[in-house]
Amino acid sequence: MKRTLMDRLQMACFWVSGLFILLVLLSIIGYLIWRGGPFINSEFIMSSPSGFPLGTEGGIFPAIKGTLWLILLALIMSIIPGLLTAIYLSEYGRQGQLPVIINLLVQSMAGVPSIITGLFVYALGVVTLGWGISLLAGGLALAIMVFPVIVISSRDALLAVDDNYRLVANSLGVSRSYTLFRVILPRAAAGILAGWLLALGYAAGATAPIMVTAAAIIASSSGALLEPVMALPYHLYILFNEHISMNHAYATALVLLGLLLFINVLALSLQSLQERINSH
Amino acid sequence: MPKKRVIAIDRSNKEWKEKIISSIIIATATVSSLLLLAMLLFILKESWPVWSQIGISSFLSGASWRPLGSPPQIGILSMIVSTLWVAGGALLIATPLGFACAIFLAEFAPPLLAAVLRPVVNILTGIPSVVYGFLGAAVLVKFFEVKFDLASGESLFAASLILAIMVIPFIVTNSEAALRSVPLEYRYAAMALGVSRQHLAMKILVPLARKGMLGALALAFGRSMGETMAVLMLAGNILRLPMSWFAKGEPLPALIALELGSTTPGSLHYQALFAAGLVLVLMVMTVNLGINILLYRLQKGGHTI
Repeated sequence: MKRTLMDRLQMACFWVSGLFILLVLLSIIGYLIWRGGPFINSEFIMSSPSGFPLGTEGGIFPAIKGTLWLILLALIMSIIPGLLTAIYLSEYGRQGQLPVIINLLVQSMAGVPSIITGLFVYALGVVTLGWGISLLAGGLALAIMVFPVIVISSRDALLAVDDNYRLVANSLGVSRSYTLFRVILPRAAAGILAGWLLALGYAAGATAPIMVTAAAIIASSSGALLEPVMALPYHLYILFNEHISMNHAYATALVLLGLLLFINVLALSLQSLQERINSH
Repeated sequence: MPKKRVIAIDRSNKEWKEKIISSIIIATATVSSLLLLAMLLFILKESWPVWSQIGISSFLSGASWRPLGSPPQIGILSMIVSTLWVAGGALLIATPLGFACAIFLAEFAPPLLAAVLRPVVNILTGIPSVVYGFLGAAVLVKFFEVKFDLASGESLFAASLILAIMVIPFIVTNSEAALRSVPLEYRYAAMALGVSRQHLAMKILVPLARKGMLGALALAFGRSMGETMAVLMLAGNILRLPMSWFAKGEPLPALIALELGSTTPGSLHYQALFAAGLVLVLMVMTVNLGINILLYRLQKGGHTI
């Protein structure tokens, strides 16, 4: 009797914790919509911050633009090294010590706190190379931050391609690069793309690295590489931390969350498309 | 026979092309992976005067941080303690919930609910830390202030609570993967013996997956040590040695984020922040590297228990 009571209690714990996760997400989204939703309109999205202190009126257009510039730059700088490293790990480096070491380095890089990446780029780009607080420095910091994400996701997508394709291509005497570009990469494309989207989302939400390298309280975010930019997550931090406007903070958080949900859902659906391709 | 020669030339040409492609790939992979070492060396170089002039032990054990005072004092003990306290506290809260949810997902959740929960967990990992920090500060801290009648509700505890919510999805994903990687034979054997599903989960699967589950915890610990925005907005940012979980403190990432912009490059203050960064990254890497070595051994040895 006691035994079954304990069992039931345990079972209840499992259910509660599972439903708790669901509740967390629903309450975050629900609360932000409740508090921030009423303030989102075309003026908020499309105009610059104004009022005194700055941000109490107007909108967040430069912050949206700045975030888009930052993540675009980060992706441009990180996809080629990221993809090539992934290709090495899955196609070329199947024996020896080097791939083990590279894997370990990439894993360790994934664990490096984002503020440390910011610190490094601050010393290298902002101070030593004289870029100053700039879009370029922020893009570089974010690129370094998402590099391991891109390597790991692309590597896993490539490794998931059935080895029979490699075997058959090899036995037909097709060259290695032809196999890679015409057989393996197209079959892993959806998964690789999903990884890029995840990296985009990760970069769009990152605050600490751009806080020390790129972000300004107010900027036009024109896309000039050596100028500071505004960014959504930093703008949210400033609105809250400087007690500028809670309403606008909630609305900014909602816009940021919406952008990230969109990117992540797209990535998840690409991932499941990849799984379907793999199982065929 | 001229024709044959053409073919031969063509082939050597192709081999040449293959060689170029593979060396580009190997070179890029090596160089970009070495970036990590470059980062560490660069941060070490920027912070070198701190190590050579002030010394490792007095930097780590000094409890007062007055880099602009005269004489300047730079000790990061209170920040190290805050970092460990916040991260350890987060783990304390997140572990039971995360493990229970992972077991639920792997074994007991009805398929439909599991199909909803998995993407939910994924999406939770995608919510940026500044949003968690903002909500924590706007809702949780306000709640503490009203409920316990405090002047300000920020504390290491508040930071731990929000960090816990942030790392639960990581614990769930990685622990569920560990539970699922237990070979099916164990499951079949248990079923053949007529063991209950709960016995199977708790007494067979969890012990078999414990290395992977520990790995998930270490990953979560490293993540909470290095997390910046949530602790910046919630821990209270007071440079004092925290004496309880409910005291305020300033973990290392918050220190760097707050002070870096106002330092003069080359000053002691600037160097001290890089030294603090080096300490932080080494703390995180020690935890992560330990786990990577553990997991590598696990892979190599197959499923040794």
